[in-house]
Amino acid sequence: MRKLQYLFMALAALLISVPAFGQDASGAAAQWVPLAAGLGMALAAGLCGLGQGKATASATEALARNPGARPGIFIFLILGLAFIESLALFTFVIIFLKVHA
Amino acid sequence: MPKQLFFTKILNHLFAPAADKLLVAVHVTPVSTVAPITNAVSMELLVFLMLVVYFVWVRLTLSVEQPGPVQHLAEMTNEFVSDQGEQIIGHGYEKFTGYLTVLGLFILVCNLLGLASPWLTSPTADVTVPLGCALITFVYYHYHGVRSNGFGYIKQFLGPVWWLYPLMLPIEIISHCARVLSLTVRLYANMFAGDLLTLAFFSLVPVGIPLLFLGLHLGVAIVQAYVFLLLAAIYLSLAVAHDH
Repeated sequence: MRKLQYLFMALAALLISVPAFGQDASGAAAQWVPLAAGLGMALAAGLCGLGQGKATASATEALARNPGARPGIFIFLILGLAFIESLALFTFVIIFLKVHA
Repeated sequence: MPKQLFFTKILNHLFAPAADKLLVAVHVTPVSTVAPITNAVSMELLVFLMLVVYFVWVRLTLSVEQPGPVQHLAEMTNEFVSDQGEQIIGHGYEKFTGYLTVLGLFILVCNLLGLASPWLTSPTADVTVPLGCALITFVYYHYHGVRSNGFGYIKQFLGPVWWLYPLMLPIEIISHCARVLSLTVRLYANMFAGDLLTLAFFSLVPVGIPLLFLGLHLGVAIVQAYVFLLLAAIYLSLAVAHDH
């Protein structure tokens, strides 16, 4: 029953949003671009922050347990952070391309 | 006509007709025929000249008895890259040290150039320069993969069992091409976003606060050069690894 309630609430929210997209002229769509860009970048940055926090937390924990393993951990930490960060940067590039197109 | 920096103006004044001819020969239409050399290319050439002067100077003042400060700097760089190479590639890393050092120094100087003076910009904030570095790295590690593994290099693109081959080959090829994409976009977006961030905060608060972001940008510039070097070393180590 609870799940059904959530489903209908989600559907109702979707139905409310439909009229907004209904008046889809190119001028009307353009006003949503800052909102979409901000939301997309916020999602990407927030989740990227979560991921980087988790990676850093594990690395510091490992370093506290075994300080001798510093060089190996450091390389993997930097690599992991770079890979996680690049996902947020992909979002940034896509937003930049779409906003300036 | 696009906005030109001081050094770009000099280059265009001297070499514009020659560059136009070169571009026509490879069927590229320049944005402007008066200024075919873009800021990114001219800054890249500037970095190239700086590095060549640095290397020649180090070579000429090389001495065992009285090493000067420039030689110490060069030895530190070489030791650092050798350490990384030994950790990541392991046995037989020596022949890659040259390439990795030049790649790391080039990207580092490119990244720092934009912070150095208002008459210069970071060439890595233009997408073509990181793409060039990534493509050269791609060709280089495949070349060394083929050289050290011979025809058996193709085994790295195939799965562990024969009936997985048709599935694994396209996946591996796509993932190798995605490496070029991710190397390019990581460097380009970091440098570009750093400039943009400083500019955005400068438009909000024109005094003081943007300086913090310049400091952040400095850190990012160094870390990104290191990451590029590290990833190039890791791709090399994967390519030259022998599967037994």
